[in-house]
Amino acid sequence: MSRGISLQEGQLLARSLKVSKSTHLLVASVAAAVAANAAAAIQMTGTVGQAVLLVLIFVTLAAGTSAICSDIYARSSQTIANLRSLGASSSSLSRAVFFSVIGYGVVGSAIGAGLGAALGLALGGQGGAASALVAVLGVILASSAAAAAGVYAGGRRSWNS
Amino acid sequence: MEQLGILQRSAAAGQNRFSVEVKHVSKSYGETEIYTDLHFQLLRGTFVALVGPIGSGKTTMLNMFAGLDKPTSGTILVMGQDITRMPEDALGIFRANTIGLVPQVQTLIPELTVRENVELPLHFAKVDPETRQRKVDYVLEKVGIRGESRRVVSTLSVGERQMVSFARAMVNDPPILLLDEPTEALDPLMAEVILGLLRGDNLTLGRTIFVTTHDRRVTDLARKTLRVKKKIP
Repeated sequence: MSRGISLQEGQLLARSLKVSKSTHLLVASVAAAVAANAAAAIQMTGTVGQAVLLVLIFVTLAAGTSAICSDIYARSSQTIANLRSLGASSSSLSRAVFFSVIGYGVVGSAIGAGLGAALGLALGGQGGAASALVAVLGVILASSAAAAAGVYAGGRRSWNS
Repeated sequence: MEQLGILQRSAAAGQNRFSVEVKHVSKSYGETEIYTDLHFQLLRGTFVALVGPIGSGKTTMLNMFAGLDKPTSGTILVMGQDITRMPEDALGIFRANTIGLVPQVQTLIPELTVRENVELPLHFAKVDPETRQRKVDYVLEKVGIRGESRRVVSTLSVGERQMVSFARAMVNDPPILLLDEPTEALDPLMAEVILGLLRGDNLTLGRTIFVTTHDRRVTDLARKTLRVKKKIP
């Protein structure tokens, strides 16, 4: 017996919590917008500036996904109480939201980072293609970690409140 | 200490013979005292009905047995486990494996189908997919709603939803079944199906059943009836 959740369980829980296509689109759009701007800007600045930009991506996306996650829980507080009575734990619910949201965050940030890197190159960013590639990877990594941290923090906070 | 009900032969030797042990439990909401120093035990396999006026704390007791509400003081052991001090995640898994709950208020997920709703506790109890399918088919057949398994719950009548609730509570073969006014708001035909299951169907036989009710037909089936006299002000 595993303590994790299966894909089917995750999908069932996500549907129960009304994690809809609109939620997926919202997460992907926010991630894409932040990543595009950051990937372009990161090519126009030095090492310190790049580090600051990556931290900014992490903080803003983590705050955003945490808020989205809290909203999901707030809208479904009665459902959560019902699921608890059946044996759901905070971890299983957090993981269900996490897996159903995180994929869209990563895809959104990848698209945004690609577009931002191309824009940075077109605007004459420093370091050429190699620098653009590093920008894309750095932005995707920072935004994925931020989405993960935000979803998990939002879930825990909502559960405990 | 009072022992309610009878000891079933099915209780294996060496096992704790009580399914629920209430030890000096008090419960209050703010200044309002619901229960003071409750102390009793339920033997395994017994059928106990709890009756009393509306607002007297019957559902509170049911919720405390399910670990959904904690006593203000005292201890509740369910199948020998102290659920009042169990961490939340462990309590969730324990509840999924041990307790079947049919609440008074419909708690089905309206967006999911009948089958998906009934299957949920099995997911939380980490039951493998093949066993899940078998158990869901069996319980839906027993309560007579297998034909409705693909319907979305929001399209069902109140009575049909109650049957789904009952199926969901029974699906993981829990040793303890807690029912909150199970026949209320049901038409006579649906109520008779529930009563038939409580009368000693294979689905409910050998389980500890604790039910809150105003229905005389339900109390007539119980081995013991507890009465809560006080109405909370």
